[in-house]
Amino acid sequence: MSNLSSSWSVTEPSRLSKWVAGVVVVLYTFITLLPLVWIISTGFKSGQDSISYPPKVVFEPSLEGYVNLFTTRTRVAAEEFQKLPPAETWYDQIVRDQGMVIAGPSRFGERFMNSVIIGFGSTALSILLGTLAAYAFSRFKVPLKDDLLFFILSTRMMPPIAVAIPIYLMYRELGLSDTHLGMILLYTAVNISLAVWLLKGFIDEIPREYEEAALIDGYTRFQAFRKVVLPQAATGIASTAIFCLIFAWNEYAFAVLLTSGNAQTAPPFIPTIIGVGGQDWPAVAAGATLFLLPVMIFTILLRKHLLRGITFGAVRK
Amino acid sequence: MTGFLTGLLRLRRGPWEMLATILIALGVVMLMQPFFLWAYTWSFLVTLVGTVMFIVVSHFPE
Amino acid sequence: MTQTPIDRLARATPPTLSRKVRGLSDRAIAWIFVAPTIFLLLAINIFPLIWTVRLSFTNFAANKPNAEVKWVGLRNYERVLTDEGIWASMTTTAHFLIWTLFFQVVIGFTLAWLINRKFRGNDLLTTLIVLPMMLSPAVVGNFWTFLYQPQIGLVNYVVELFTGTPASSFSMLGPGGLAPWAIVIVDTWMWTPFVMLICLAGLRSIPDYIYEAAEIDRASKWRQFWTITVPMVLPFLMLAVLFRGIENFKMFDMVALLTGGGPGNETLLTSIDLKREAFEKWRTGYSSAYAIILFVTVFGLASIYVKALNKVKER
Repeated sequence: MSNLSSSWSVTEPSRLSKWVAGVVVVLYTFITLLPLVWIISTGFKSGQDSISYPPKVVFEPSLEGYVNLFTTRTRVAAEEFQKLPPAETWYDQIVRDQGMVIAGPSRFGERFMNSVIIGFGSTALSILLGTLAAYAFSRFKVPLKDDLLFFILSTRMMPPIAVAIPIYLMYRELGLSDTHLGMILLYTAVNISLAVWLLKGFIDEIPREYEEAALIDGYTRFQAFRKVVLPQAATGIASTAIFCLIFAWNEYAFAVLLTSGNAQTAPPFIPTIIGVGGQDWPAVAAGATLFLLPVMIFTILLRKHLLRGITFGAVRK
Repeated sequence: MTGFLTGLLRLRRGPWEMLATILIALGVVMLMQPFFLWAYTWSFLVTLVGTVMFIVVSHFPE
Repeated sequence: MTQTPIDRLARATPPTLSRKVRGLSDRAIAWIFVAPTIFLLLAINIFPLIWTVRLSFTNFAANKPNAEVKWVGLRNYERVLTDEGIWASMTTTAHFLIWTLFFQVVIGFTLAWLINRKFRGNDLLTTLIVLPMMLSPAVVGNFWTFLYQPQIGLVNYVVELFTGTPASSFSMLGPGGLAPWAIVIVDTWMWTPFVMLICLAGLRSIPDYIYEAAEIDRASKWRQFWTITVPMVLPFLMLAVLFRGIENFKMFDMVALLTGGGPGNETLLTSIDLKREAFEKWRTGYSSAYAIILFVTVFGLASIYVKALNKVKER
């Protein structure tokens, strides 16, 4: 629209109203991001700075939180402390400054890796199964299609705690409790509904003519699916995968009930990071930052498909 | 209103779904209201009937 | 479900074409493609669900697997549905549900309406506003306990800054009746962007010519808002409200870490209550009945949700 016509258009908001709207939204953005900024900045505070009042906005950055996150530390008696050889590494020094010595690595690294393994494992599996099912629902006459689709969606809606009781018992019988496989299967079962619904939407948008042309050229159905549909659906598959990954990454209820040591993911672990006299907030914030940052980046990458993902593909914009 | 009633009689999907929706909504309200214990007690039955009805009537013709 | 043009096209394609295709028949492929998904869902969702129904008629306790299991008929349901404690947790959930939905709809719609003015940079701001809702509710909920600390927390500091109420004179998560509001605030902070995004999609789906026609009819802006904007956005808003309603009815992670149901039972939402019954008191049979009640409620709401979904899809 040219400037001339837009100034006459009745639907184009006036400059003043745009300006006011902009200011209000900027203000809201500022408020809503404050807690996130606070998480990130607390991660770089020293223990002292993190609990000072009034809360410190300007502070001397410290890596104490990150060092504490990855280590376990012990306090040693003052005379012992004097006898120790000087700290060898920078992180050693940071721990010494708190009057402690490093006792060993913490479990955070392990838990983080568990999150990565379970997240990626379940995402891969959901996408694999989901793409196949979505293709079938999109292209073929499946008996009871609508009922099956509703059934698939409704499994997503189940309250996790309600399903957790029998799954807990079942996993105990099968030896799947606290294993990576068990969690991968469980998260796949939750994610697959989203995968099927979203991917069906994406595949519906690919014109059938492409495949039909391929079929006439002598491709089998399967080849047509692999060589025509899959490449066309690549963006859709990628964004669906990110949604599945974010869910598995963030999930807490099943993780806290069904895992304890071996396969525990980061969300149940981060709140248990304890320092002297309660939670070690810089370490918690450091862990939270490392944990939340990938999701923030993914969200920004996903922004075009966000709406679709959160409404099971209903709203396409 | 008469359209709604004839729809019910002819087993049409629209009005029956509406009825089921109302039952489910009523059940949910009964479940969570803070005033009457009896309403809470019977809420589950109302929701259950509404939900089962919804599944059944979604197979009625439009 | 509604017919998409593609479905119609599919029916219009001559069946001879598919018959000519080499390899497996379409029907076989359809089954092979759908079966793994259905199987997984049967194994991990439906089988456990049936098991829960079975357990709900017994007095089984998971921490005593060797104890004799007795069939108790509908006793568990009777007890859950007359238990004043569980009823109280339902009303606590209702409080949480009503207020979070109220704030999220009001703030979310307003934001969407403002962003729809298309001022410069609105895309960037939308992306930033959306961030909280994608984050782990557990990790974020845990961190909010820090923001809510009465002595050192940011929230109390900001309140003191703007109202002069001394920061140490109140505790958002402690006794004093503020905890139910504390969880409402965090949930609103997290999920307002969800409602906003959906409303924005609704607003953007309204074609300009409707407003132009209204302008020609000399309808006031106020009238246009109530007779065009609101009714057109309503189906979208319904979708958002139903979805958030279902999610908040099941709310567990964020609140479990923020308050754990306390102080006392002030924020004891049903999911947290159920977790206590099932995994702390180990009354498995009893809590199975409790779980089924929650499940049926959610399932009922979900069927309404799917109906709303299809309504929006038709647009």
